[in-house]
Amino acid sequence: MIEFVDLTKRYGKFTAVDHLTLHVPAQGAVALWGVNGAGKTTVIKCLLGLLRFEGQITVDGCDVRRQGRAARQRIGYVPQELAFYKEMTTFDMAEFYARLKGAPRTHIAPVLEQVGLAEHQAKAVGALSGGMKQRLALGLALLADPPVLVMDEPTSNLDTAARSQLLQLLTQVKQAGKTIVFTSHRIEEVETLADDVAVMEQGRLQFVCPSSALAQRIGLRTQVKFVVPGDQLDHALAILRDDGLAVRRNGVGVIVDVAHGEKARPIHVLGRADIEVIDFEME
Amino acid sequence: MQTKAFNRARTATILLLVSLFLSLGQTLPLQAQADATSTALPETTQCGHVSLQAMIDAAAPGDTLVIPAGTYHAPLLIDKPLTLEGQAWPVIQGDGSGDVILIEAPDVTVRGFVVRGTGISLDREDAGIRSTGANTVLENNRVEDALFGIYLQQAADSVVRGNTIRGMDLPISRRGDGLKVFYSPRTLIEANVMRDTRDAILWYSSYSIVRDNDFANGRYGLHMMQSDHHLIEHNIFRDNSVGIYVMYGNVFEMRQNLLDSNRGPSGYGIGLKEASDVLLEGNRIVNNRAGVYSDASPLQPETTVTYRNNLFAYNEIGLELLANTQRNRFQDNIMLDNGEQVNVAGGGDLMRNEWAVDGRGNYWSDYAGFDANGDAIGDLPYTSKSLFDSLLGARPELRLFQLSPASDALDLAAKAFPLFAPQARMSDPAPLTQPPALPPAPGMEAPPVAANLGVALAMILLACGVLAAGLRLDRRLPRILPRNSAAATATLSD
Amino acid sequence: MKIVWPIAQKELRDALHNRWFLLYTIAFIGLSLALSYMSLAGAGIAGFAGFGRTAASLINLVLLIIPLMALTVGAQSLAQEQEQGTLAYLLAQPVTRIEVFAGKYLGLALSLLASLGLGFGIAGVVLALASGAGSPLAYVSLVWQTFLLSLTMLSVGFLVSALTKRSGVAIGIGLFLWLTFVFLGDLGLMGTAITMRLPVEQLLWLSLLNPLQVFKMASILDINATLDLLGPAGIYAMQEYGEQLRGVFLALTAFWIVVPALAAYVRFHLRGDL
Repeated sequence: MIEFVDLTKRYGKFTAVDHLTLHVPAQGAVALWGVNGAGKTTVIKCLLGLLRFEGQITVDGCDVRRQGRAARQRIGYVPQELAFYKEMTTFDMAEFYARLKGAPRTHIAPVLEQVGLAEHQAKAVGALSGGMKQRLALGLALLADPPVLVMDEPTSNLDTAARSQLLQLLTQVKQAGKTIVFTSHRIEEVETLADDVAVMEQGRLQFVCPSSALAQRIGLRTQVKFVVPGDQLDHALAILRDDGLAVRRNGVGVIVDVAHGEKARPIHVLGRADIEVIDFEME
Repeated sequence: MQTKAFNRARTATILLLVSLFLSLGQTLPLQAQADATSTALPETTQCGHVSLQAMIDAAAPGDTLVIPAGTYHAPLLIDKPLTLEGQAWPVIQGDGSGDVILIEAPDVTVRGFVVRGTGISLDREDAGIRSTGANTVLENNRVEDALFGIYLQQAADSVVRGNTIRGMDLPISRRGDGLKVFYSPRTLIEANVMRDTRDAILWYSSYSIVRDNDFANGRYGLHMMQSDHHLIEHNIFRDNSVGIYVMYGNVFEMRQNLLDSNRGPSGYGIGLKEASDVLLEGNRIVNNRAGVYSDASPLQPETTVTYRNNLFAYNEIGLELLANTQRNRFQDNIMLDNGEQVNVAGGGDLMRNEWAVDGRGNYWSDYAGFDANGDAIGDLPYTSKSLFDSLLGARPELRLFQLSPASDALDLAAKAFPLFAPQARMSDPAPLTQPPALPPAPGMEAPPVAANLGVALAMILLACGVLAAGLRLDRRLPRILPRNSAAATATLSD
Repeated sequence: MKIVWPIAQKELRDALHNRWFLLYTIAFIGLSLALSYMSLAGAGIAGFAGFGRTAASLINLVLLIIPLMALTVGAQSLAQEQEQGTLAYLLAQPVTRIEVFAGKYLGLALSLLASLGLGFGIAGVVLALASGAGSPLAYVSLVWQTFLLSLTMLSVGFLVSALTKRSGVAIGIGLFLWLTFVFLGDLGLMGTAITMRLPVEQLLWLSLLNPLQVFKMASILDINATLDLLGPAGIYAMQEYGEQLRGVFLALTAFWIVVPALAAYVRFHLRGDL
C-alpha cells in the first residue's frame, strides 16, 4: 500500500532521514519506532507531502510528489496534537474538513458518533478536553473513509484513561481493515496496534521486526519499584541480587531493573523467600 | 407632403411680400394680412427657399420684417437700420463659409432666429452674427454650429440678450469665441446661454455690463482685456478652463456670480492680472482648481482689490496670490475646506494686505483658535503656516504629494517642532468664528439623492452578502432545530 | 473551486474573529462617518457640498488606513497559521498548495471588500441623505480604486507572510512596509525632489513606483477627470499621456497585485519546512 524507496531528507548538512526503504502492506500496521530526533516525524511529513525530499514515496501507486492530492486522498492523518481554529465548533470543524476531503455531509454524524463526540458537536473546539480533541482528530481523519491512517505520536499527550480510550478506538479501526502507519515511543501502543515495527536511529532504518519481538530486539528494560516491610529490606536486596537482578535501594523499597516481559519475576523471587510485597510501581 | 411643403413656402412668400408691399415707413400687424393674395407678385421662390436678402434689400430703413418659419439662405447683409423678427424660429442657414449674418448699419435688431453654419476660418473669424453698427440689438436668437457666435466689432451701445450660443464640435484650439465684443463700449450682455465655445471676450469695450448669463464648457467664461468699468453680476460660469479673467483694466464690480468647477490646467474661478480697483462681493467660488488667482492686482497706486462676503469652497486652492499682491482687503469671506486655503504662488508672503477690515476678518474652516469673549471673532489670529503649503509655493511640483499622508506628517512635524515651522505667509487678525450669511447666487443644483442613497445601500448589502457567504448563513439555518438528537443531525445532511 | 471556496469562506469567518481586522474596520467606518459629517457641516454653510473635497478627505483617509489593514491581514495570512500549526494540518488534507493559497487570498480579499463596503456604504448613506454626495458613479469608482489598492497591499502582505515563519515578525515587517509606503517613500522622494531638483517627469514616474500614489492619482482622475489638482507633475501627466493614464494606472496596479502575490505563491509552493 505504501512504498518508501530511498527516502532521504536533508536539512543543509544534517540528514534527518537517510535512504529509508520500507514497504507497508495493505491492511498492515507499521509503527516507526525511535527516540526523539530519530527521524520518525520527518518520514510522516514527507509522506504527507509537507516536506521536500529525495527518493520516492507512493501511496496506493500514487506518487506523493507528483500526485500529492491523490496520495493524500487515500490518507487520514492524525497529528500529535491537532491544531485547531479555536472559534469553530466541533461540527463546523468536521464540516470544513469534510468539504476539503470531498466527503459527503452524511458522513459527519456517524463519524462523530463513532468517536464519541456526538454530544459535543455544538461545543467550540477550544473547549474540548485533550482526549476529545484527539478523538476528533481521529474522526476528521476517518471522514472520507480513507484506506490509510497516518498518525504521529497519537497518544503521547494524553492521560492514561484517554489513552486507553483512543487505543480502543484505534484497534476497532485497525480491525476494520485500514492500513496504519504511526510513530511511537510507547511500547504498549506499538504492541497493541502494530503488526511490524520499523526501528529508526539517527535517520537510518535499523531493522524491521514483528511488534511482539520489539522489546526483546531492543533490549527494553523497565525499572520496577517494590515496597517491602522495612525490616526485610536488606534481605530482599540480597535475595534479588542472588537471582542475578540489578537492584538498588530506594527509601522504603528496592528498585529492580528488569527486561521487558520479566516484570513479574521479582515478585516470584520475593514470594519464594516469604518476603511480603506491599506495593509496586513501574517507572 | 410635397404639396403641403409647397403651400407653406408659398404662404411664407406671400407674408414676406405683403410686408414688403406695406413697408412705407411703418409696420402693420402682419397676421391680419395673411390671407391677402396677389397673382402679380414677383417670383422669389427657388426650390422651396426664399431669398430673404431680396426682402432686406427692398426694405426701407427703419422697417420691421417679420419672418415666418423656414430655412433661408445666408449670407445675409443688413446694411440699413431694420428690425428682423423671426416667428417660430426661422433658420438662417450658412453654407459653411464666412459669416452668416453681417450687420453693417446702426440700429439693427435681429430677434428670434436660428443662425447656423459659419465657415471655420480663425483668420477671418467667421461669425454667426457680426455687427459693425452701433446700437445693434441681438435678442433671443439661437446661434449654433458657429465658429464665432456673436461678434460685435465697433458696435457701441449694443444689447446682446437672451441668446443661446453653441460652438462647433472642434478641439479647443480650433474653436472661435462664442461672444466677441471688440471696441464696442457700453454693451449690455444679459441672460445669454453659451456652451462649447472658446471665450466670451470683451476687448476695449469699457462700461459694458454682463448680467444673468450662463457660460459653460469653454476656455474663458468671460475674458476682459484692456477694458474698464464693468459690472459683472448674477452670472454662472461653470466647467470652463477659467471662469472670469481680467487683464489690464480698472474698476470692476463682480457680484453674486457663481464660479463652479472651472478647472483647466491653470484654471481658476476668477483671475486678475494687473487689474485695479476691483470689488468681488457675494460670489460663490466653488470646486475650481484655484478660486481666485491674482497677479499684480491692483496695479494702479492708491487703488485696492476688495473681497467681501464671498464663498470660497472646495477649491484645490482658495486664493492663489502672487507675492506682488498688496492692498487687497478681505472681509466677511468664507474660506471653506479648500485643499489649500491660501497659496503664495512662487513663494513669499502676503503680509501687505488687509486680512481684516474694521475689525472683521474672514471665516476659515480650518481655524483652530478660540473665542473666549463670545464676540464671534477668534481671539487668536488665523495664520497660514502649513510647512507643506509653504513648500508648494516655492516648489509647485511637490503638489504631486497633495492628499498624501506624508504631507500631513510634514505639517504635524512642523507643529510639534516649531523650529521647522515656516514663516506665516498671511495672518487674519480677526477671524470669524461663525460663517457670515451669503447673498443668493444662481445655479445651485441638488445632487441625485436617490441614486447616491441607492449606491450606498448597495455597498452595505454587498458587504453583508459577502459576510453572509463567509458565515454560510444559508446552511446554518436548519441548526435552529435541536442539535443532539439523531433527527437534528439528519436535517443537516444534504 | 471545490477546495478554494470552503477555505475562502473560512478566511471570511476568521476575519470576523480577527481583532486587528475588526479594529481597522471599525476605525475606517468611524473615520469615514466623521469625515462625512464634517463635510456636511460645510454643506450647511455653502448651501451644498462639494463632493470633490469629501472625496479628497476620503482618499487621504483611505491612504492611511486601508494599506495598514490589508498589509496586517496579508502578513498574518500564512505566518499565523504556520505558527499555530494549522497550516501543516490543512496541507495534509487532499488539497494542493495553489488551492490553499487561492482560497486564503480570495477569502481575505472578500473580507476587505466587505469592510470597504460597510465603511463607504455607511458614510455614503449619510452623504446622500444630506445631499453631500456628488455623482454616484464617482463614489463607486472611488470604492473600486480603494478595493484595488487593498488588493495590492494584500499581495504585498502575503509575500511578507510567505517569507516569514512567525506571525509577530510578519506583522512587524508589514507595519514597516506600511510606514514606507505611506510616509517614508513620499518624504524621501520629496526630499530628493528638493535637493536634486528632479524634473517633473522623473518625479512623476518615481512617485508611481508607490502603489499608494497610483491609487491616489487614479482616484483623482476618476473623480475630477483631470490631475491638475496635483500641480505641474499632474498637468504634465495629463498632457503627455492623456487618456492613456487610466491604462497606465491600471497596469501599475495590476502589477502590484499580481507580482507580489505570484512571488508569495512561488515561495509558498517551494516551501519545504512546514
